[in-house]
Order: sequence, then structure tokens, then C-alpha cells
Amino acid sequence: MIPRQTALAAAIALGCAATLALATTLLAKAGAASTGLPDWSGQWENVGATPDATGGFNQTLDQVLKQMEWSPPLNAATKAKVDAMQARERKRLAAVARGEDPGGAFTACTFGYPGLMLDTPLMFEVLVTPKETALIFSSREIRHIYTDGRPHTAKKDLWATPWGDSIGHWEGQTLVMDTIAVKDPYGPPDSGSAVAAFGDVEGFLTIGILTQQAHFIERMRMIDPGHLEDQMTIIDPANLTAPWHMRRTYERVAHLHRMVYEDCEGEDRNPVVDGHFTLTPPPSDTPSPAPAASAPTAPKK
Amino acid sequence: MNRVLSYTLIAAAATLMASPARAHHSFAMFDQSKKVTVQGTVKDFRWTNPHVFIQLLVKNDAGVEEEWSIEMTSPEHLARVGWRPGTLKPGDKITLVLHPLRDGSVKGGQYLSGIGPDGQALLGSPASPGEGK
Repeated sequence: MIPRQTALAAAIALGCAATLALATTLLAKAGAASTGLPDWSGQWENVGATPDATGGFNQTLDQVLKQMEWSPPLNAATKAKVDAMQARERKRLAAVARGEDPGGAFTACTFGYPGLMLDTPLMFEVLVTPKETALIFSSREIRHIYTDGRPHTAKKDLWATPWGDSIGHWEGQTLVMDTIAVKDPYGPPDSGSAVAAFGDVEGFLTIGILTQQAHFIERMRMIDPGHLEDQMTIIDPANLTAPWHMRRTYERVAHLHRMVYEDCEGEDRNPVVDGHFTLTPPPSDTPSPAPAASAPTAPKK
Repeated sequence: MNRVLSYTLIAAAATLMASPARAHHSFAMFDQSKKVTVQGTVKDFRWTNPHVFIQLLVKNDAGVEEEWSIEMTSPEHLARVGWRPGTLKPGDKITLVLHPLRDGSVKGGQYLSGIGPDGQALLGSPASPGEGK
């Protein structure tokens, strides 16, 4: 006869073993699931919108457009609006070239979607998890792509934002993203988003405007260890005569291995005097190694 | 055609397309048609958003030291091409090429390229348009 304490110990041991086996199985499955997803870690920047130390770009507009495989199928009414926008923009750039303030104020770094993917010179990271992939940009904008099988937000709970409502799924190593309900970050409440391309200083062009009913489908994949590709299709029957296909590629940031944020909301070092921009250097964010004599002193009481 | 323009200006231009005129962090105060070369001593390297500044002490033709404000791009952009907050230090002797301010009464300009205290080209010197990666 087995002693009662021995039987109890054996039962506990068996229970622990079963629990351990179950845990091991679950972990193994989880591990398999996680290893099944691609590793897109690191920092990425848009090829063609890579800035240099001056803030300039290293490609011309023509090169950028070629990369984007640009063929905007705008309908006549939309094309007329885009043409008018381009005319205003050229007029504005001419004023800036003369050193004049064309008016208005821009105090934010928000690019919004689809600009974040198509034309931004910002870098970004891609955080891949089984239920969600997040695209995190240096402007502190984040695209949340839910891949847990959920549908888009119900229409009664949905409103347009500069980043839209995104869901997605994986087809092998390709992330298929589906985005709706996008508006211009700075436009009126009913405005859709704009699509623009940037090259050198002459190379700015608004190439399309969309409605809030625009539907964006993207296929993102790694085409080699140093490059991601995003194939975007925009469906917007109100402004487009056919689906609009574009392609962008991103390369690894060469000299940086962590995120550094942009902040456009800092001091305005461009005060306007007599209609012309002037320059006022801001103080540094970092501790100054300057001699003590130049260090700020406490106010006298 | 000069190609140098802050992306922030271009971003502002983008927003103009769909909304009232906006502008910020413009480079319009610099004369893009001119280039000048200045040699001097770094007084301060101001690593800050939205744009980084080099405060440079430069002797004029009369031998009098003047302080120039040299504007660069953002810390995010500079970090991506290899710059760091300690890339330049007070006392460093450097040479810079820049677009000067239109208003000649103020000494300053937009950074284009430079030679560091070790005699080497500073990082991130721009490629010509069309020579991008």
C-alpha cells in the first residue's frame, strides 16, 4: 500500500509535469507564431526624401515620381483643383524665393496618411506583433495596423482622422494593410487627404487630392535586407477614374540606431519683420559646455 | 538651380495645398543665389529643435571678431547623417560654406558644407541633385 504522503507527492509531481508540458506546448506555439512574422526592426527612411545636413534632398522630383510609378488617374474636376493648387504653390515659392513671408503659420510636424508613407522625409520604425503592427514615425505619429482579424471600426463609431482606420493581415511575409477614413491634418472637417511628391527645391508637387471615402490598400514587404517596399493602391471613385497605384521604397538609416524625434513646435526663429523673415537663433536643448562666464545666472531677488 | 530647402518649408507648402497658407521654419531669409566661406571658432553648438545652430566667431576684414549664426537642419535629420550633440565643441576651428543672410547687417547663414577641426569634411555634405542614393 502506498503511503498517503507519497501518493500526494506523486499527484503534485504529475500535476506540475502536466502543467509544464502544457506551458511548453503553448510557448512553443507562441514562439512559432512570432518567428513566423518578419523582423523589420531598425530605422527606415524614404528613398528619395533622405535629407542631408542642409535640410536639402538628394533626389529630383522626376526621380521621386519615377520611383512612385506615378500615374494619377484624376477625373477632370479633381485635376482642375490640383492645377489650381499647384499654381498657388508656385506663387508662394516665388515669394519665399524673394525672402518674403507669404503669410500664415505652420507650427506642427503632423504629416498624416498617406503622406507619411509617400513623401515624408521622416524616419520610422516598424513594430511587428502577432495582433498588431505599428509604424512609428519620428514626428511621433503612429499608424496602428490591427492584424487580429477584426473588421474596420463600425460606421456609427467611425470618424476621419489624419491617420485613418487601419486593419491588416499577413500573406506570407507581406503585410497587407487596409485603411479608410483619412482626412487632411490641416484642412476643414470634410477634407480628404492630399498626395504630394518632393524632390529638390523646385521639386514640390501636389499630385492628387482625395475624399474621405478614399480606400487605401497597401502591400508592404522586405525586398532585401536593406529595403522595404510599399505598394499602395488608392480607390476613390469621387476623385479618381481608376485605382491609383504607387510604389515607395525605404532604406535603413545608416548612421543611427535609435529613434530621434522631430519637434516642429519649438521656438519660432523666423520672426517676420516688415514682411520678411528674419533669424533669431534659439537656445540649445543640451547643456552648454561654454565657459562659466556665459552661463545663465539666477535672477536677483 | 539651388536645391537647398528645409523640408519643413516644403511640408508647409504641402499643407498649403489643402488649406490656408502656412509657413514655418522658412529658409527664405537666406540668399540662395550666393555662397560664402567663413573661417572661425565655434562659440556654441546649439543642438535643438526645430533646427540646429552653430554660433561661430569670425574675424572681419578689420580683425574684429563677429558672431555668426549658422542654421542647419533638425537634430533628427543631422543624427541620420552622423551628427551628434558633441560633433562640434566650443573652441573648434572650422570652415563653413553657407548661403548668407539677405540682411547683411546681421551675420549668419544657412549651412551648406564644412571642414571640421580635424581638417576633414563635416558629415552629411549634400550630394548634387540627381546623385542621390
